[in-house]
Amino acid sequence: MLNKTFISLALTAAVSTTAIAATDQDVENSFFPYKSGVPSYNGLSAGMTINQSNVEQFKEILDPAMYEFLKAGDTEIKVGETTSFDLHSSYVDATKANLANVKLGDNPGEISGSVAGRPFPEEPSMDDPRAGEKLAWNYKYGYNWGDSAAIMPFYWKFRNMETGKLERTLKFNFHFLNFTHRTQQDPTPAITPNPSNLFRGIYVQVLEPFDVKNTQLLIQRFEDDLKRDNAYLYLGFQRRVRRLSTGQVTDSFLGSDVMIEDFEGYNGRISDMKWTFKGTRNMLVPMYNHNEMVLDSESHQDDEGYQVVAFGGKGNCFPNVTYQLRKVYEVESASVDSNHPISKRQHFIDAQTFTIPRNITYDRKGDMWKSWSIGQAHPDHHLPQNKGTGVAIDDAFTMIDMQAQHCTTGQFKGIVDPELTPANKMTVQNLRASGK
Amino acid sequence: MSKKIITTMNKLAAGVAVGVTAMAAGYTGSVVAADAEWAGFVENATYVRDGVGLSKFRNTAQAEFSKSIKTEGWSNVSINGTLRATYDGVYDLNDGEFGKDATEDYLGANWHGEDTSTVILAPGTPFPCDNDPTKCNSLKDYMDQDENEARFPEFNDQLDFIRELYISADKQLDNGDILNLSFGKQQVVWGKTDLFRVLDVINPVDYSRHNIYDELEDIRIPQWMLTAEWRMGPNEIFDDSNLSFIWNIDQFRPSNLGTCGQPYRILDAGCFFSSELAVGPFAGTPIIHDVVDYDWSLENTQIGAKWEGVYGDATFSVNALHYRQQLPSIHARSAGAPLPDGIFDIHFPRVNLLGGSIDYYSMDMDAVWRLETSYTQGEEQPRDTNGFKETDMFRYVIGFDKNITIPELGTRSAFLVSTQLFGEHILDHEVDMPNEADNWIATLLFKGFYVNNRLSPQIIIAHDFGAEATAIAPSVEYLIDDHWKVNVGFNIKEGGDKKFPWSVSGPSDQTEPLARFLNGPIGVANQEDEFQMSVRYSF
Repeated sequence: MLNKTFISLALTAAVSTTAIAATDQDVENSFFPYKSGVPSYNGLSAGMTINQSNVEQFKEILDPAMYEFLKAGDTEIKVGETTSFDLHSSYVDATKANLANVKLGDNPGEISGSVAGRPFPEEPSMDDPRAGEKLAWNYKYGYNWGDSAAIMPFYWKFRNMETGKLERTLKFNFHFLNFTHRTQQDPTPAITPNPSNLFRGIYVQVLEPFDVKNTQLLIQRFEDDLKRDNAYLYLGFQRRVRRLSTGQVTDSFLGSDVMIEDFEGYNGRISDMKWTFKGTRNMLVPMYNHNEMVLDSESHQDDEGYQVVAFGGKGNCFPNVTYQLRKVYEVESASVDSNHPISKRQHFIDAQTFTIPRNITYDRKGDMWKSWSIGQAHPDHHLPQNKGTGVAIDDAFTMIDMQAQHCTTGQFKGIVDPELTPANKMTVQNLRASGK
Repeated sequence: MSKKIITTMNKLAAGVAVGVTAMAAGYTGSVVAADAEWAGFVENATYVRDGVGLSKFRNTAQAEFSKSIKTEGWSNVSINGTLRATYDGVYDLNDGEFGKDATEDYLGANWHGEDTSTVILAPGTPFPCDNDPTKCNSLKDYMDQDENEARFPEFNDQLDFIRELYISADKQLDNGDILNLSFGKQQVVWGKTDLFRVLDVINPVDYSRHNIYDELEDIRIPQWMLTAEWRMGPNEIFDDSNLSFIWNIDQFRPSNLGTCGQPYRILDAGCFFSSELAVGPFAGTPIIHDVVDYDWSLENTQIGAKWEGVYGDATFSVNALHYRQQLPSIHARSAGAPLPDGIFDIHFPRVNLLGGSIDYYSMDMDAVWRLETSYTQGEEQPRDTNGFKETDMFRYVIGFDKNITIPELGTRSAFLVSTQLFGEHILDHEVDMPNEADNWIATLLFKGFYVNNRLSPQIIIAHDFGAEATAIAPSVEYLIDDHWKVNVGFNIKEGGDKKFPWSVSGPSDQTEPLARFLNGPIGVANQEDEFQMSVRYSF
């Protein structure tokens, strides 16, 4: 019996860790899924509106939370054309260059051979017990914000969903920088020196309001996924840098409905979750051309004439953007730590970009708790400097606490420009210097 | 939201900006200034003290600005300032308890029952500069503020309404490092402790605002300083490395302990210093004869250096500071009978500090440990004989911060638990020192968050083991919206019962005058139980 178990485990490990070599065709299929045509659904057409009256007809191409919102009449969605979000060619090329080298380790959170590009471009299989984990790696090492980018500014609004009352408006700057897995901005594939082998940095600075002004957050993620992030918080009114424990990473960030772990769809370690691939489907997700959307002329004005996405629906909790039918991978991530405030997230990962435009979070009891949307804007229809970057621009988010009927919305001005995020932005000293 | 306001910089700021920029850059070309960003608040803080009535009716207006300037060769050039004006109406609304006419029955009546020693010392003279020209002159340039200056504390000869005004600029070096220069009136923060300080000693502190309980940000006394930072960033060993130098060119200012007649006078030192002998042939002899002046001179300036960095999971600093003790040291002028014009002079001796800090995140405990230490040479501790003794001091704090989710308390947000244990060791301790050779103070902060962090209850507890004194401060903060904030709380103290022998009046333990040091800032405030409320409007 013991031997049998051992052999079984060994075989499972062999299957899951031995790379079944992906091919260049896999890469083509992964990055250009709409090359030979876009998905369709009976009765669905660009320009139409889905709302309470016709939601049942489209239940199959909606995620469960969005279906509930539409059914309740909380919002309606306009359907846009399905368009290709081509990632930058350097990222595709890096994927091809590393095809034969990437392997999962024996345990979750372990990977080898991934230098840059998409680690596992092959189509996920329901028969692969570690398919979910591979998709998580594709997300983690995804092109996301490219090698670096900034959101300047970034407006977060806290809203009572029942009354629509705007409770708080926070104004931030966010910066993202990949130290490794770089493909497009010099230097590639890594910034050196990098003694702790950091993978990525996220730097956040609060500009307004006064009570949290100059609060800064620095997250340093390691290449070693088994190592917890280093997170630092600078409080303006104390003028000092404090290390954060992970309790704060899974806590409400500055009172919002978003926890640091929620950033970008998932902002944590692969090894903190058990990842399960649930299937491939076509689904309506908020991806669009920013310049063609309804924009908010009041929240932000600048010399470039840029305007942020407008919000509407119940409590003004929903971005006024179009949704397009796209191929998504449904992946479930269940928290390994039983003390984690959530039990699991249901991710709907866009198959072409590996961004996560839709998430549903479940509480410890397993009840639906929060709904996350992050609108992805095509870079060629956004700010002029974003054109040709191949970055799906995070453009508008909403995190709706369905139990508390409360939401936090985010309006972005995302800029892909390496000048805005030099490596010294991601240092502890920068917190002190910027907060002084 | 802060408002973007087109403003004309005042001449002083512009002078500092252009002058320093040109000096540092060796650049005499044009300077392009952007609009200034302004933010700030107005606040009323009303405190009511048990058995006393109103103890604070402080109205504060504070404005902060930052103005970027584009120059050639330098980056991130900005002028930054903080202006603050305060009016404390307690001197008008409760003038029977506080102010120039607030008399006490005996010295220390605000914190202990009368004992035999008090017949030797007279009650302190409130606001000596309103009531006693001789004592006013003796305390000149230290505790010589009159009632009106306490009423409007920023409007004084040091122009304290300018809390900060400095220019900062970065120079990108050829190797990628950054050199930052900052010059002006500013706060420089070393250390990461709450309530008490170990390394955060560059700026003196105004304890008269609210003892130890206000944020240090609000009670540090800014100084005119030049700082230089060499930001080296990561290298093959460290993830971050930074070397900084500080030159405090301001005229020395000690910490403000509060003048007799003010509601908050830490250790009741203000009334002790404005007291006098009450009986015997030397009756009328003031306690203090003079406060030694430290006129501005190059050798009277203060300098420091710090190297800090990140190594793996640890952030660290190594600190050195050559400064002047910010708390007074009283030197007896005569070994025998007191001189008729005063018994003690107040000195602020030179101190050399070496210290360091380390923060470490423990993945196993999911918590952060903090350690700060300092070793000083040149400090002077009070003692019965001669009033003082120079001794080396060793101080440290061990901090532990953890976030804990407690669903039973009705919120999904994690509670912050932050504990600190401060230790102090007097290396050359004497039995006639009114301090233990080793003493510890423990603090606890337990803070919760409700209603999207807009409602935040917390409790702070501090316990001084040597003094056997405890402060308990529960409070609730409510953010009504982006502009309005209300804070309601209590501040309760216990202890302050320690006695200490004073050889002048006999060998028995007594309270005055030395037990004030033993009972510390918590114990001496034992009758300052307060209800506190503040309302702030931010813009």
